Amino acid sequence: MRGLGALLLGLGGLALAGCAGTASPEALAANDPLEPTNRQVFALNQQFDQIFFLPTVRRYRLLPEDARTGVHNFLRNLATPTIFVNDVLQAEPTRAGRAAARFVINSSLGIGGLFDPATRMGLAYQGEDFGQTLAVWGAGEGPFLMLPLLGPSNPRDTAGLAIDTFVLDPTNYVHFKQHFWWDAGRQYFTFLDLRSQTLETLQGIERSSVDYYAALRSFYRQVRDGEIRNGAAPKPEEVPDF
Amino acid sequence: MSKRFTLARRAVLTAALAVPFLAAAPAMAADPAEAFVAENIAKGMAIINSKTLTKVQRRDQFEQFLLGITDMKRIADFTLGRYRASASPADLAAFETAFQGFAVAKYQSYFNSYAGQTLKVTGSTQVAPTDYRVKTELVDPGDKSGKAPLEVIFRVRTDRGKPVVTDIAVADAFLAVAQQAEFLGFLGQNNGNIKLLIAHIGEVTASLNK
Repeated sequence: MRGLGALLLGLGGLALAGCAGTASPEALAANDPLEPTNRQVFALNQQFDQIFFLPTVRRYRLLPEDARTGVHNFLRNLATPTIFVNDVLQAEPTRAGRAAARFVINSSLGIGGLFDPATRMGLAYQGEDFGQTLAVWGAGEGPFLMLPLLGPSNPRDTAGLAIDTFVLDPTNYVHFKQHFWWDAGRQYFTFLDLRSQTLETLQGIERSSVDYYAALRSFYRQVRDGEIRNGAAPKPEEVPDF
Repeated sequence: MSKRFTLARRAVLTAALAVPFLAAAPAMAADPAEAFVAENIAKGMAIINSKTLTKVQRRDQFEQFLLGITDMKRIADFTLGRYRASASPADLAAFETAFQGFAVAKYQSYFNSYAGQTLKVTGSTQVAPTDYRVKTELVDPGDKSGKAPLEVIFRVRTDRGKPVVTDIAVADAFLAVAQQAEFLGFLGQNNGNIKLLIAHIGEVTASLNK
């Protein structure tokens, strides 16, 4: 159930994308043939952010920083089993071991993940997801997508998100009466945590951008490539020569 | 949902952390590119952390510093992409001038938020005879979380004589590449009107300098 709304919204975005107008040569070069629709979705996302998300985040920020850090740690710890599975699927035993160790340490010494003693012990967080796994397996990214509410993506990463959410997340297999509310609460705080952490950063980027949408698209694609390479340097031919 | 937001926000986060001239730690210079970066980070630190400079003096000195270690014309021309070839000499000159002011204002707006952090050289890779990636780490002395420092990479080119920084990457996102994407995105939305781009750059620069 968790992420159902996200997936539906994503699918809605894909459907909208099918109605796209003509993309500019620049958009095509940026792997964004659906740019006209993507920009419309982005504009809606921006409005929704201003009207709903930002006021909510500002209220959330009234909480003490330690409390917000606890929420952040708890959510990350919940995601660690999914990271572990993706590490295994990518044949990354060292990273998988790190994820497993982090989960054990933070779930116990970290009191259910509220604290992050693993990082202090030299086991820093390393993210992984099924979109990256698909990329490691050879799947291309497909055209850039701006998903409603969820932001930048592509078909490969959208599919990866669905797999992570519905298949790999072990909490799906823990059945209890209030599961719906557990999922809803987790999603709610996940949003608050992420949006809160990036509030000033996003404002700074928007303020200094000539084209905020294009900036986000570029950063998303570059960082995503870096995550897939797991820190390895890009091939020289992949870097513009200027 | 969480992963999607994580990815998207992380992508954005990289840009705002692009503050290469905050502070410097002593570096072991293993090659000329590393030495160049280490030395100039130290100069940038002196400007940023100076207690005696006024706001205007700091801005002017930072501008001179930035122009001294980068090839701003080269970066500007790159960010204009295919439009550079078709731009009139007058438009190109106006764009390069606007870009320079914009770049200085943009970096200044960033570093103000991150003054006091430490940037130290950790190594480098020579990816071509005249193309280096110098790795540095951005460390916040006040951060007690123990999280890993952020990696900032300086792309240093030596093909035109003296070494110059042509791009900076934070968490794998190169800023000149992103800047080009912005400009081309804007031009693609506005029928390739470079004059309009120059005017818009001027507006953003003015906003940043307020």
